Amino acid sequence: MLTEKIVEVENLKKYYPVTAGLLSKHVADVKAVDGVSFYIIEGETLGLVGESGCGKSTLGRVLLRLEQPTAGKVLYKGNDIMTWDKRQLKEMRKEAQMIFQDPQSSLDPRMTIGDSIGEALLIHGMKNERERLERVEDLLKQVGLEPEHAIRYPHEFSGGQKQRIGIARALAVNPKLIVADEPVSALDVSVQAQILNLIMDLQHELGLAYLFIAHDLSVIGYVSDRIAVMYLGQIVELAGKTELFSHPLHPYTEALLSAISIPDPHQKRKGILLQGEVPSPVNPPPGCRFHTRCPKIMEICHQEEPPLRQLEKNHLVSCHLYD
Amino acid sequence: MMRQVSNKVGGLRNLIFIGVLLVLILILLSDIYLVDQILEPLEYFYLFFAAVAIFYGIYPLYANRRLTKYYWQRIKKHRLSVIGLAFITFLIVVALIGPIFTQDPTKVNFAEKNVPPVGFTVQQFVYDLQAEEFVVQEIPGTWQHPLGTDDKGRDMLAMLVSGARVSLQVGLLAVLIAVFIGTIMGVVSAYFGGVADMVLMRFTDIMMTFPFFLLLVFIIFIFGPSLVFIILVIGLTSWTGTARLVRSEALSLRTREFIMASKSLGASDTRIVFRHLIPNVISVVIVIATLSIPGVIVAEAALSFIGLGDPTVTSWGVVLNAGQRSLDTAWWVAVEPGIILFLTVLAFNFLGDGIRDAFDPRSQL
Amino acid sequence: MNNNILEIKHLKTYFFTSRGVVKAVDGVGFSLRKGQNLCLVGESGCGKTTIALSILRLIDSPPGKIIGGEVWYHGEDLLHSSGKRLRQIRGNQIAMIFQDPQSSLNPVFTVGDQVAEQIKLHLGLKRKQAMERASYLMEQVGIPRARERMKDYPHQFSGGMKQRVMIAAALSCNPEILIADEPTTALDTTIKAQILDIFRDLKQNRDMSILFITHDLGTVASIADRIIVMYGGRIAEAGTAFDIFDQPQHPYTQGLIACLPDISAQRDRLTPIPGMIPSLINPPVGCIFNPRCERRLPICSKEIPPEVFISGEHLVVCHLYSPLASPQDRREGINNVD
Repeated sequence: MLTEKIVEVENLKKYYPVTAGLLSKHVADVKAVDGVSFYIIEGETLGLVGESGCGKSTLGRVLLRLEQPTAGKVLYKGNDIMTWDKRQLKEMRKEAQMIFQDPQSSLDPRMTIGDSIGEALLIHGMKNERERLERVEDLLKQVGLEPEHAIRYPHEFSGGQKQRIGIARALAVNPKLIVADEPVSALDVSVQAQILNLIMDLQHELGLAYLFIAHDLSVIGYVSDRIAVMYLGQIVELAGKTELFSHPLHPYTEALLSAISIPDPHQKRKGILLQGEVPSPVNPPPGCRFHTRCPKIMEICHQEEPPLRQLEKNHLVSCHLYD
Repeated sequence: MMRQVSNKVGGLRNLIFIGVLLVLILILLSDIYLVDQILEPLEYFYLFFAAVAIFYGIYPLYANRRLTKYYWQRIKKHRLSVIGLAFITFLIVVALIGPIFTQDPTKVNFAEKNVPPVGFTVQQFVYDLQAEEFVVQEIPGTWQHPLGTDDKGRDMLAMLVSGARVSLQVGLLAVLIAVFIGTIMGVVSAYFGGVADMVLMRFTDIMMTFPFFLLLVFIIFIFGPSLVFIILVIGLTSWTGTARLVRSEALSLRTREFIMASKSLGASDTRIVFRHLIPNVISVVIVIATLSIPGVIVAEAALSFIGLGDPTVTSWGVVLNAGQRSLDTAWWVAVEPGIILFLTVLAFNFLGDGIRDAFDPRSQL
Repeated sequence: MNNNILEIKHLKTYFFTSRGVVKAVDGVGFSLRKGQNLCLVGESGCGKTTIALSILRLIDSPPGKIIGGEVWYHGEDLLHSSGKRLRQIRGNQIAMIFQDPQSSLNPVFTVGDQVAEQIKLHLGLKRKQAMERASYLMEQVGIPRARERMKDYPHQFSGGMKQRVMIAAALSCNPEILIADEPTTALDTTIKAQILDIFRDLKQNRDMSILFITHDLGTVASIADRIIVMYGGRIAEAGTAFDIFDQPQHPYTQGLIACLPDISAQRDRLTPIPGMIPSLINPPVGCIFNPRCERRLPICSKEIPPEVFISGEHLVVCHLYSPLASPQDRREGINNVD
C-alpha cells in the first residue's frame, strides 16, 4: 500500500495585486488562494471542489509552479520546489502535468496532434523523430484513439476526442501526478462518462496521483479518494469521500451536497438554500469567510477565523461549530 | 556536427536560410569593395525578402499540407476572393515576364503620339505640312499599340506592364518590411509585457504620428528620388498598425490554454514565442498584409502623380500624371491606369476578405 | 376539455450551410398545458434550443429556416402569424430566458431600463410607473435593495444576479408561457439551487407554464412535470418524471441515466454510451440512434421507428416497442451486428 506523499502544500498563498490610478498604485489584493495546506499520496485522487472564485484553478496552477506563489511551500517528494532553479523545474515538468478544461483552446490549432503530444518528448530530449512518433502512437492507443490520426489537426476532432488528446499529451512524459482542471465540465454527459472511465483506468494502469478539480460534486464523489472543499481561497473541509458524503461537517459542504442534482424524482427535496452571493476575494468577510451566508451562524463567526482542525482521523474542518 | 549546429539553430531550415543570407552578404560586400555593381540595391531587397518568403512563408505551407488544404477549401468558398487571387496571379505573371514581350516603355516617338487603343478612332487636329494648316485627321487604333500611346508616343501597354512591375514591387516589399517589423514588435510586446510592453507601445505611438510624407520629401531633397527610398520610407513608417493588431492578437493568445500547456510541459519562452505564438499570429498578419498592399500601391501612385516618384521607372502614377494633361484629347492615357489601379486594389481587397474569413474559426464556411 | 395552451406539430427546422443541410429539428411535436413544467432534455446538438427559438421564430435566417410544422397558440399558428402579431406575443404572452446571462443583457443600459423596456412596450405604462413595476419585480426574484440596484449596470452584477434580472424582465408582463433555455447551466451549484427555487415558485404561485430546456437530468428530476428526451433532432421518449426515471424505455434514455456518476452506488466504472453524437447533415438511415444502440434490430437501420404509447402519457419512439418487434427481442435486447 503506497503511503508516500507525492506532493505536500503548506500554507500556500497566491495574491494578485489590484492596481489603480495613473501610476498603477497597488491598492488591494485579490486573495485567490489564502493559506491552503494539504498533501496527496502516491496513486490517490484528491478531489478539489468549490464554486467559481474559490481559487481551485489557481491552486492547481500554483501547485505546478505555472504561476509563482506569493507565500507558502510546495514540497514535491519532500523537496521544496520554490527554491528550485530553471533546470530543476524543467525536470519537475516530467513528474507533474496538467489536463485542461476547454478542449477547444487547450490544443494549438496550427500543430498536428502528433506534434502537440510529442512536444513534451522533444523538449525533454527525445530528438529522434522516429522514436517520438512511435511513442506518440502508443499514447494515442492508450487513450483510445487511432494512431494514424497523429497527422491530423485539432479541428478535425470532437470535444471528447480533443480531451483524450490532452490526456495523451500529459502522459507523454510519464508523470506521477496529474492536475486535472475541470477536465469534463465542457463535455456532454455521455462523453463525460467515457473520459472519466479513461482517467480512472489510467490511474489503475500507471499508478497516477490526481488532483481532480471540479465544481460538480457528483463527478468529484465518483473519482476521488479524499475530497477537499474550498471556499474563497481556503479549504473549509477535507475528508475521505465516504466520510464526507455521509457526515459532512461544514455548513457549506452540507449546502453543496444538498444541491447535487440527483436524477430521481422521488427525492424532490429542496435542499439547503444559501442566502446571498459569493463575496469578492478582494475583500473577504472578516472572521469566518462563510459567515455572510451561513445558516448556522454564531456570534464568534463574525470575529474570528476558525482554524482548520482535525476532528476525527483524516477529517479536517474549519468551523466554529466544532470548537 | 552538422546535426548539432542545426539543432542549436532550431532546425535544418533555419540553417539553410542562414547560409543563403551569408551568401547574399558576401555578394553585397564584394559589390561594395571589389567588383562594381553586381546587383542593384533594389535587387538585394528582393532576394532577401524572397528568401524570407520562401523559407518562412511558402515552405511551411508545403510542410503542413493538410492544414493548407483545409484553409484553401475555405478560401475557395469565397468566389470573389478566388477571382481576386486569379487577377493578382495574372498581374504577377505580367510583371515578371511582360517586359520581355512589350516594347520599350520609355521610347519616345512623336510621330505616333496620342494613338487611341485598338477599336477606337479619334479625331485630331494635326498640322498638315503640305496644306500649311491644321486639318482634322482620323487616327485609328492599331495592333501595334493595342492600348494606344500617350502624348509623347510611348506605348501604353508597355508602360502599364512596367507599372505593374513597379507597383507590385513597392506593394509587396514595403508591406513585407512593415509587417516584419510590426509582427516582431507586437509579439515581443505582448509576450513579455510589463516595461517592455510599455516602452514598445509608446514608441509605436510616437511612430504613428510620424509624417511619412515629410520624411520622404526630405530624403528626396537630399538623396534624390528613388524607388528604394519610397519603399523604405513607406515600410519603415507603416508598421504601427500591424504592431497594434498583432499585439492584441498575441495578448489574447497568451491566455489560451495551449500556451499554458506548453509551459507546463517545460517549454522555454523562446519556444513558446516561435513555435506557438508566431504561427498563430501569422493568420492575422497575412490578412493585414493583404489588405495593406492596395493602400501602398495607391500611395506610390499618388507620389508619382505629384512628381515625387522615381523618374527612371514608369509606374502607373507617372502615366496618370501624363494623362491628366491630355484628358480631353487622349482620355485613355488617364483612364487605363485608373482602371487597372482600381482592379488591382479591388482584387487585393477581395483576396484579403476571403483569407480573413477562411482563418476566422468562428465564421461558418 | 383540451387544456393545452401550446401545441407543436411536425416541426422541422433545417440549417442550410455550405457543408450541407443540418436537420436540427426533424419532425417534433408536443403540447404544453397550463401550469405545467415541461422539460426538454438532451445533449448538445439534439435540437432543444432550436425548438425554443423556432416557437418564437427567432431562428437566424439564413442559414436556418423553419421548413415545416405548426405551432398553435390560442388558435393561431405562430409560424404563419404576421411579424407584428409575433412582436405582440414575444415578451408579453410568451417570454424567453436565454442561457448565458453575460451576453443576454446589454452592457450599456442600466438594469432597470432593460427590465422596464418590455413593460413600457407591452403594457403601455409611462416611464415612472414602468420603473416602479420593474423594481417590484426585481424584489420578487430576490435581488436585495432592488430600488437602488435598478440604476446599476449589468457588469456590476454577479452571474446569479444577472440571471435573476433576466427572469424579472421575462416576468414583467406576466406571460402565460415562459421558455427557459438552460438558465442554470452557467451558474454555480449553490446559485443554481436558488434559481431553481424561483422556477418552482413560479409554477406553484403563478400557475405559469414553463418550457424548461436543459441537459442536466438531475434538474429535470426535481422540477419537471413532463419530460421530453431528445436526440439528434427527434424525440426519443416522453413522459412524466416518474415514467422517465423509474421506467426508462428508450435505449438512449437508459444509457443517459446509466452514465451519470452516482455517488450512492458503488460502481467501479461508469457505463458510457459508446460512439459519438451523429452528424445532422447525414443522419443515419432509420432510427437516428441506431449506430450507438446496443439493442438494435435489423429494422432499426432501415426505417424510422413509430411513436408508441406505453401507458397514459409515456411515449417511446423505438422499434423495440413497435408491433414489428417480438417480445423476445424486447426482453433480451438482441444485438445484431451488421
